[in-house]
Amino acid sequence: MIVMVCVDDDGGMLFNHRRQSQDALLRKHILDLTAGKRLWMNAYSAGQFEACPQLQVAEDFLQQAGAEDYCFVEDADLAPYASRIRQLIFYRWHRRYPSDRRFPLDLAGWTLLRSADLVGRSHPVITEEVYVK
Amino acid sequence: MTKRHVKKRSWLPIAVVLLLAVAFYAYQRLSAPPAAASVSLDAIPAFTDQPYVTVNDNKPFFKADELNTTVFETYSELDSLGRCGVAYANICQELMPTEERGSIGQVKPTGWQVSKYDFVDGKYLYNRCHLIGFQLAGENANKQNLITGTRYLNVTGMLPFENMVADYVKETDHHVLYRVTPLFDGSNLVASGVLMEAESVEDQGAGVMFCVYCYNSQPGVVIDYATGENRAA
Repeated sequence: MIVMVCVDDDGGMLFNHRRQSQDALLRKHILDLTAGKRLWMNAYSAGQFEACPQLQVAEDFLQQAGAEDYCFVEDADLAPYASRIRQLIFYRWHRRYPSDRRFPLDLAGWTLLRSADLVGRSHPVITEEVYVK
Repeated sequence: MTKRHVKKRSWLPIAVVLLLAVAFYAYQRLSAPPAAASVSLDAIPAFTDQPYVTVNDNKPFFKADELNTTVFETYSELDSLGRCGVAYANICQELMPTEERGSIGQVKPTGWQVSKYDFVDGKYLYNRCHLIGFQLAGENANKQNLITGTRYLNVTGMLPFENMVADYVKETDHHVLYRVTPLFDGSNLVASGVLMEAESVEDQGAGVMFCVYCYNSQPGVVIDYATGENRAA
């Protein structure tokens, strides 16, 4: 599966069970990127997306997702599924937020394939980094 | 005819009473100092290596009827020592700045000192630290909103929480009830830290909710909070 996560400058993902940030233009980018594919997430994450054909919502989505499917991960526990991840896409906010949950995996053994900057709605720059094993 | 005439005017006393009640409520709302959260410094653990600790299980002390979309921002009068008190606002796009930040160098908060250390980010130990950050309410040189705060408090402690609130408001166009309370030990001129509380209104805290105490400390520096004097540890 292809996992997408948003992180701040400290690798943070959540604080007090809530996402650190969000961006409407990043959501549009994700929907454009996954058009024609399957995009999995849980109900918490789906709450910020408009209904679209590729959206698959399930609490055990990391269990259900296939090898070619995309998974947008905010508060789900990635660690048990680490061996099934074949590509990681980071969206870096370039800001610092409070965090009490950080990205849990070690990136040793992963290679940065490409990196590109996006312009967000409330974030001047969001960097997309694609890693492969 | 007479009866009809009397009936016509019977609403007058009620209207006058209602008007007075509304005026009294508005006066109280605008003139009363913002309510402070009830947290004692005695309940806060000593600073170690983290910029903040959560308080009250990360739940702010707002009352239920405070969670509404009425726009306001209030700052306490300085106390007899010239110190800031509670700053409280309902953060929304309407309050956010539309212009670049102006100069604040003319404000000298209590305990202000100019102290430099090579190991401090930006060299200067103390910043004029906004209680309600400029990005949230656009307040510049408001002496009721600026305390003597370490670089560590300003950038590592408070700024991440301000960023979280600012992004949420910009992305959702919702309101966030937001209160910052500087806590002074006795008659100290420099605050020991600040209590930061926030809760998003329209989604009842689902988007933003926190209650944290940020330490006005600086790793590697010993501060005399009574005066602001300081030295390397």
